[in-house]
Amino acid sequence: MYRLLTSIKKELILLINDKVGLALMFVLPLLLVFIITIIQDSAFKIVNNNQISMLVSNADEGELGKKLTNKLSQSGMFEVIENNGIDSLQLKDKIAKNEALTGIYIDKDFSQKLTDLSSSISTQMLVDFGIGEGEVKTVSIPSILFVHDPVLQESYCQSIIGMIYAHMGNMERSRMIESIYAEMGQTTVPEQIKNNITNNHINIERTPASKNDKMPTPNATQHNVPAWTIFAMFFMVVSLGTNIVKERNSGSFLRIKTMPSSFFMILLSKQLVYVMVGIIQVFLIFSMGAYVFPHIQLPELYLPANSIGMVVITLLSAITAVSYSLMIGALSKTQEQANGVGAISIIILAALGGVWVPTFVMPEYMQIISEFSPLHWCIEGYYALFLKNGNWSYLSKIIIVLVSFSLAFQLLTYIKFKVDKIT
Amino acid sequence: MSQAIIQIEKLGKRYKGSVDYSLEDVSFTINAGDKFGIFGPNGAGKTTLISIICKLFEQTSGHVHYYPSNGNALNLGFVPQDLALYEDLTAYQNLEYFGALYKLPKKQVQLRALKFLSILGLSGVAHKKVKTFSGGMKRRLNLAIGIINDPEIIFLDEPTVGVDIQSKNAIMAFLNDLNEKGTTIIYTSHHMDEAEEFCDKIAILDYGKLIANDTLQNLFTLHNVSSLMEIMLLLTGKEYRDNV
Repeated sequence: MYRLLTSIKKELILLINDKVGLALMFVLPLLLVFIITIIQDSAFKIVNNNQISMLVSNADEGELGKKLTNKLSQSGMFEVIENNGIDSLQLKDKIAKNEALTGIYIDKDFSQKLTDLSSSISTQMLVDFGIGEGEVKTVSIPSILFVHDPVLQESYCQSIIGMIYAHMGNMERSRMIESIYAEMGQTTVPEQIKNNITNNHINIERTPASKNDKMPTPNATQHNVPAWTIFAMFFMVVSLGTNIVKERNSGSFLRIKTMPSSFFMILLSKQLVYVMVGIIQVFLIFSMGAYVFPHIQLPELYLPANSIGMVVITLLSAITAVSYSLMIGALSKTQEQANGVGAISIIILAALGGVWVPTFVMPEYMQIISEFSPLHWCIEGYYALFLKNGNWSYLSKIIIVLVSFSLAFQLLTYIKFKVDKIT
Repeated sequence: MSQAIIQIEKLGKRYKGSVDYSLEDVSFTINAGDKFGIFGPNGAGKTTLISIICKLFEQTSGHVHYYPSNGNALNLGFVPQDLALYEDLTAYQNLEYFGALYKLPKKQVQLRALKFLSILGLSGVAHKKVKTFSGGMKRRLNLAIGIINDPEIIFLDEPTVGVDIQSKNAIMAFLNDLNEKGTTIIYTSHHMDEAEEFCDKIAILDYGKLIANDTLQNLFTLHNVSSLMEIMLLLTGKEYRDNV
């Protein structure tokens, strides 16, 4: 026990003296989480909270154009800016000049065309039923020009168009009922009938797949805090990898080989210290997300309900990071190699693993490649905890993969040390 | 007659991928209490031989027999040419760490660390980081680590390389003192004057083969020379031994 404690003490002293390594493991990730969360939070807010700016030019001489404008405004999705004095080309020009993200131009005969269309359909229906006698006229279809900033995603444009269609559909149905009643000699449509025909009757209940009610939707914090914490954990490769190379190249490992202590005890003490570093990183960065972020207008980090799962995933992530760092240290011949290969490989594995952008937005083939990154499985573990109830059946698959990665890295380390005649 | 502590018998070593033997059919005996020097030009096989005796490498053929005085495992000390120290640790912490790895009790580690730091003139800097030390101070600490386990036999690979005359004097005096107290010393160096003054028996290797093994005096008589350098040049030639 004295040997192990002395080894741990030695590793702690070496770690404390490694100022660059400490900065990379603690200061850099705290800054990264902080800066990237602020940047991404504004992007998340555009999607989740902020209204999309919409410039509306309503040239309609009837009332339906105004009605549509009001409906879009009331939807809460748009910040409607009315500018009725401009034509469609001027509207397009203003969107190009970033005065708004989207715009619609409503023609001057929009109401007339929509009313004619509704009347035509209702007359056709009554003629078909043998009730009406009127002549079914051919009418032109009303149209609206939708202009958008080219940066707006296609799916987002489609959802806006869908919303305009929905409002127009309601107005069209309402006009149709009025026409039918008029054809039947009724001057007014009962409000109840009008409501029943224009309103939806199917209730869509929406709930996030999480048992933690405090966290209904993912946000910048829920992604960035675990993702960059894992990045920080794996960045210990710079400190631990260099530590291994230094000891081997100085001859310390050979000297130890002449002593009656097991080399694995030396490696164990290193691993214990760095696993502890990983746990401290999680504690610090998660604490910042949970307690500091809310005070600086960033979304609060809500810790998962499955605390045992949280401990298991944190421990396994730290062990995987330590095992990877040991392997890089064992495979590197020089400190420069350990630093360079270690840091670059972590940046690549982080990008592949979904630290920068979640893997679900990647192309399918990239999602397959990402599964070869240990960081991906660490992030998946935290996603499972934060966003998917911390479901043990899902977590168990992640645990098996992380254990496999750790064993593979440890095995490669052992083989390399064996080849180098250190063990 | 002195008792053998290490007996080397037909030792051979060929590294993987190499066609030549780094050591070939080497046999000699080291007796308890010897100050035994192993010499040879660069690439002669000295480091390979010491590494095999210290169990760092395995031989391809032959045997090394150990005869510890207590009948158990041989308690050996190893002082490599490289400064195998932790620069961010203090001198005391280095000794404490390596002492613990020798499986010594905590109290014994503390006592021996303080003792050797004092003997080797490092007491005043015991709690200073090694990276602030001069080359001579690091060499002395390197030596202290190699003997913290109070070994029966100690292997020294170039123990005075790159040190000033004061540190060299302190190291050699300390080694003589250790030997007088019964420690067997195996020593390699390129400093022929120092070796001549220190060693009583020598082995000379060249191209992996043992070409001389006797007391220094017998070798002087046999080859009719008066210095170790003359013996070396006579037996190994004057050509450069540059390994590229």
